[in-house]
This record gives sequence, C-alpha cells and structure tokens, in this order.
Amino acid sequence: MEPDLSPVVFVVDDDPAMRDSLVFLIGGVGHECVAFPSAEAFLAGGRRDRPGCLVVDVRMPGMSGLDLQQTLKAEGTTLGIVFITGHGDVPMAVRAIRDGAVEFLEKPVNDQMLLDRIGDAIRKSIAATQLRRRRAEVEARRNRLTPRERAVLDLVVAGRPNKSIASELDISVKTVEVHRHNVMEKMEVRSAVELARLFSSCLGDNP
Amino acid sequence: MRNLTIMLLILCLGAVVGPGWADERPTVRIGVIAPRDIDGAEYSWGATLHQLSVSLPDYRFEMRVLDQGDYRRVLADGGVDFIIGNPAQYIELETEFGVSRIATVEFAGGPAPSSAIGSLVFTRAGRTDITSFANLRGKRLVAIAPDLFGGFRVAWKEFAEQGFDPFTDAGSMEFVGEPVEKVFAAVRDGTADVGIARGCYFERLVAAGRLRGDDFVAIEGRTPERLRCQVSTPLYPDWPFAKLASTPDSLAKRVAQALLAMPAGENGLSWTVPVDYQPVHAVFRALKIGPYEYLRQRSIYQLAKENWHWVAVVVLCLAWTLISLARVQYLVRLRTQQLNAAHLQTRREREKMEHAARLSLMGEMASSIAHEISQPLAAIVNYARGCQRRLADGHKLTEIEGGMTQIVAQAERAAIIVRRMRDFVRKRPPSPSLVNIGEILEETLDFFLPLAERQGVKLDYVCEMPLPRVSADRIQIEEVLLNLLQNAVDAVKDTDERRVRLSAAVVDGILMVSVQDTGPGMSQETCERLFEAFYTTKPEGLGLGLSLCRSIVEAHGGRLTGENLPEGGTMLSFSLPIAQE
Repeated sequence: MEPDLSPVVFVVDDDPAMRDSLVFLIGGVGHECVAFPSAEAFLAGGRRDRPGCLVVDVRMPGMSGLDLQQTLKAEGTTLGIVFITGHGDVPMAVRAIRDGAVEFLEKPVNDQMLLDRIGDAIRKSIAATQLRRRRAEVEARRNRLTPRERAVLDLVVAGRPNKSIASELDISVKTVEVHRHNVMEKMEVRSAVELARLFSSCLGDNP
Repeated sequence: MRNLTIMLLILCLGAVVGPGWADERPTVRIGVIAPRDIDGAEYSWGATLHQLSVSLPDYRFEMRVLDQGDYRRVLADGGVDFIIGNPAQYIELETEFGVSRIATVEFAGGPAPSSAIGSLVFTRAGRTDITSFANLRGKRLVAIAPDLFGGFRVAWKEFAEQGFDPFTDAGSMEFVGEPVEKVFAAVRDGTADVGIARGCYFERLVAAGRLRGDDFVAIEGRTPERLRCQVSTPLYPDWPFAKLASTPDSLAKRVAQALLAMPAGENGLSWTVPVDYQPVHAVFRALKIGPYEYLRQRSIYQLAKENWHWVAVVVLCLAWTLISLARVQYLVRLRTQQLNAAHLQTRREREKMEHAARLSLMGEMASSIAHEISQPLAAIVNYARGCQRRLADGHKLTEIEGGMTQIVAQAERAAIIVRRMRDFVRKRPPSPSLVNIGEILEETLDFFLPLAERQGVKLDYVCEMPLPRVSADRIQIEEVLLNLLQNAVDAVKDTDERRVRLSAAVVDGILMVSVQDTGPGMSQETCERLFEAFYTTKPEGLGLGLSLCRSIVEAHGGRLTGENLPEGGTMLSFSLPIAQE
C-alpha cells in the first residue's frame, strides 16, 4: 500500500482576494493548491496526511495563524508552514520560526522567495512523510512479532551473536535460531545486516 | 349859491325828466360807502350827482348809500356801477372786485389830492417824557377803531417802521370808538398817555370850540404846506371815484370827463385826475392787513430771519442728527464688515479644526486602512507574478486572462478605498442635500466593517427598514458615524467580548442612530467632559472627534448624547430630524 505522496499546498487567508491570488500564483507553477477562508475551516476539511506546505495569514478573525501552527505541531504535522503577514512583527516572527515555521514573509510577498520556500517545505514534508511511513511500516512488522521474538530482534539489531542471545535469554541456541528465522521472515529482511539498515533508515533525525 | 344850485338842479331834472315821469333812460347807480360819524363829514356828493346828471342827460343817475357792513355784498350783486369810498376801502375793493379809480377828490385851497390824509399822534400837554415814537414803548395808547385808515392805520404804519408794535409793545392799546372826542378826552383825563386821530380833526374840533387847543401836544408833529393842520405821519391820497369792472369803458370815460369838468361845489370839492394810491398799498403791505393779510402767513424765509437763533439751533440739531446718523451708518457698516470677517475667520478655523479632526480620525484608523489597501496591492502582485510565470511557461492564455481580470478588480478595490479616504479628509464646504440615511449607514459599514473585523471586533447592524430620508451632508454624517464606531472599537479592543452594535430607528418622528459597545464604560469624568474639545482618553487622540460630532449633529438640527449602559458598555446616540417630503 502506497498512500498519496503527491504534495499539496494549502492556502489559509480570510481575505478572498489574497487567498485567490495566492492560489493563482502557487497553482501557476504546478502545485496542487487548496484554499481555506479560516484556520477552523482548514482543520475541519484539510487532508493533513499528505506532504505539503501550509501558506497562512498570521492575523485572521477567529483562530490566528500562530494558533493553527500550535495545533498542527501538537498533531505532529509534516506540513511546512509559510507565514504571510501584513504587519511586520519581529517577536511574532521569531516565535513562529522557533516553532518550526519555514518562513515568515511580509506582504506583498516576493513570489520567488515564496515559491522557493514552498518548494523547500514540500521537499522536507515529503521526506518527513516518507520517514514516518517507513517507521510506521517497520513498527507494523515489528508488531507482528511475539514478545520473545521482539526480544531476540532487539538483541540481533544490537549486533549480539546467537550464543550470546541464547545465554542472555536463557534459552537454547537452537531456539534462538528458530526465533531469528521468524523475525527475519516477519520483518521481511534476509539478513541481520539488512535488518540493521532497516532500523537505521527509520531513525531519521528523530530519536 | 348852494340853494340856487339845488334849485337849478331840480329845475333841470324836472325839465329833462318832466314829461309824464315815464323815465326810459338807463340808470347809473353810484354807491357811496357811508362814512362814520365824523370821517368824511367834509365830503358831500350833491354837486357831483348834479354835474353827472347835467353832463350825461341820456342817463338817470342814482346815488346809493351803502352800509359799512354790507357794501361788499352790494358790489358782489352788481348793485352799483360806480363807487366812492375812502382810500383804504378803495384799495380793498380794487383787490377784491377789480374796481379802478377814474378821479380823485380835490378841495379848492386844500391839500394836494395825493397828500391829503394823515394822522395826528398826540399826548397831554406837559408830558415831556413823550416826545417821539421812540418813547411810546410801555405807554397806554388810545384810538377810535383799528380799521380806520386816516387815524390808527396810518399811525400804525409809522410805528411799525420804527419797530414799535402798538399791540404788543405798548402798555395798552384801547379803541374807544366814535365820536373822536372820546380819544381826546381819554388823553386829557389821563386814562391814556397817547391818542391817535386823523389829522385836521383836532384843529376842526378846536375851531368848533369842542376842545381846548393847549390841552394837547403833537408827537413828532409837523404842518405840511397846503394842509394847515398838524400831522405826525406822511400824507396819503384823498378819496377816489372808481368804476366797477363791469361798467362799460365808454360810460366810465364820459363820467370821468364830466367829473373833471365839474366846478368846485360845496366845501370846495371837485375832481381831478386819479392819483397814485401806491402809498396806501404800502401801508396795507407794511401792516399786512386787508389785501396783504396773507403776508401775516409769514414766509419761511422771514420766519427764519426773525428766529435765526432757533433756526440755528434746529439746523445744528439737524446737522448733529445727520452726522450721528452717518456715523452710525458708517459704524454699522464697519462692524458688519468686521463681523463678517470674524465670521469668515471663525468658519475657516472651524473648517481647519474639522479637517484636523478628520485627519486625526483617519490617523487612528490608519493601520487598518493601510491593511485594507495593502491587501488588494498584495493580491495584485501575486496575480501579476502568477501571470508572468504562466507566460514564461507557455501556459494557456485563458488562465492569464483570468489573472489580469483579477488584477483590474483588485486595483479598483484599492482605488475605491483611496478615493473614500481622500473624500473624507478633503477640505470642502458642507453641502446638505436630501439623503437616504440607510445608504449612508451601509456605505460607512462597507468601509468600516473590515477594519473592525481586523481588530477582532464583531460589528452588528440592526435597523428598522425602510429608513427615512434626512436633509444632511453625507460626508459629515459619515464622519460622525466613523467617529462613534472607531471609539466603540477602541473601547472594546482589549476586552473579551468584542462587540459593537450600530442601530437605527425612527422614534417619535425622529431618526435615532446609536452605537453601542461592550467595553468597560466611561469614567465619571469622561461622562462629564465627553463633548469637550481637546478632552481625550486616547494617547494619540486630539480630543476633537466628539466635540465636532456634536457641532455637526446640532448643525443638522439634532442632538448627540452619550451614556453608560446599565448592562455595561457605552452607548452614543444622535438624532436627526426627518425631511418633510
């Protein structure tokens, strides 16, 4: 199962002209672009499992752009966020960037910079999404293991030989080999080296 | 001789008129104004009548004695053809009836006909204090009657010439009537100081033994040649014989010829050519009597001359009044100009202040407005860049056209905001017209609603439809609304429940517009000084907004009030009279 990994750009702005013009600009370079008139509407209707970028006005009636950022962060989003503001406000910008925003742009926005940042954000988002998917996959395979098999797995990944594992778990080497075979099968790898690479690829920059 | 003449006359008449007394001749009537007792005693007209009858046998002459009282009526009725009277009567008739003299009496051995009548002014012998007319002031005067020519009037004329008026300047002026002896008696007995009588009467009475000559002494007396009696005045012409205006000239001519040809009769009376009666006119004119009565109605010039000091006072008063009036006029004009200038100045100051207040309001709304303008500008930039990229990538033209359309729409949106702002802050005189208040409210809301929302304020609009029309200046009412709305937004900006409500309704025939907020309300001081100029609670405010709002509303005939609401928050309301349609 390979879910939709095509990136999408979400535009959230209460001013229809601003919103539509951003869609026109961003859509013009080939991005799929979906617009929402408010943060609430986006949270209600946006598909946030896809990689992509959120372009959002800082100040809006109701939920503000910064509030939306906090909400998404709590959800563990992979979306990159580009803020657009009419009023340059340094502390606000600092806070937004510290909380992981890709960029904080002042209106009228420099289109090249906006599109570049959107591109960056999408790339990052795709990477993050892929990592998350891989990690989820590994986790799913791992969940198929029995508790004993999981203990064997951890020790194999740690690079322990079968004998050491057998004495550690207080079981026979023969039993360790059976478990090891089952683990390889369930984790869909052919060797311990492959298994170690699978796990290291999932680590990403996340611990 | 006299008897003989009369006999002859009767014989002649008898001879002429004799046969059967059936006299067919036309009658010529000669009126004689009856003389007073003594006046005219020397005049007798028998000889004259006889002369005329003899000289003009084809006429029958009749003499008719006319009363003093009614001779004018007889003349008016045409009752006589000729008239004989004293000079004074003559000139009166000359004026009233147009009679004209054809002969004047002359006495053989007597005075000249032109200088026959004068007056004697006298006092008791021994009165050394009265020697000239100048001494008459304050003295008691006596005469027969005021209307006698020879006598009082002639003397009066002399007095008048010397500035002495017997009626006002004398101690008393008494008229004792006829006979003339009464005048002499009054002077002699001391009941009067000075007597006036016709010249020659004195001598006549002395000659008759009725007076003692040395009892009296003349004042300014003299004895003219030929007169042989003392007079105190100039002399005037003797009695005239006059024809009436209706009497034919041919008859008058024949009568005149007969008169002039008449030999001296009784008393030596005969007729001579008519003399000049102007001196008599002069007397009447000087005394302003008879035909010259009208002169008493004195001309303005005479009045002015006689009362020059009063005239001067009046002229001065008038001049003063005129000068005052002119000065008042000048001052009024000056003050009016000053007032107009001051008024203009005030209006300019007021306009400046209003302008400042509007600028200030715009300043307060500036960041919101800037956002309103930057929004379409940012959108335009986005559309334009989008178009450029599509062009570079060879996109379909229809997409680019869509972007272009949006660029135009957004540019227009920005232009509208700019225009509204410019209209609002532009200096211009207010021009009230019949406007729909609903439209003003909605237009103001169109402008203000996004600004309020941007500040997180929920703005409600409640109105009773349809709203009436009012006579108002659109921009000024918008200014009031924007002030009230901005104040309300400022009041709720930092509170939790950020709501502002604009409502409009007609209450008791008056339009009421209210702006209500959910803010913290006003302090006691703010309540009291709400509409005071330069009172403000905002750090950036000028304190002119509400003060000017109130002047604007009041200039529109309405009222602006502000109050704290019991449920919290503030409400500002203004009323406007509904236009009569």
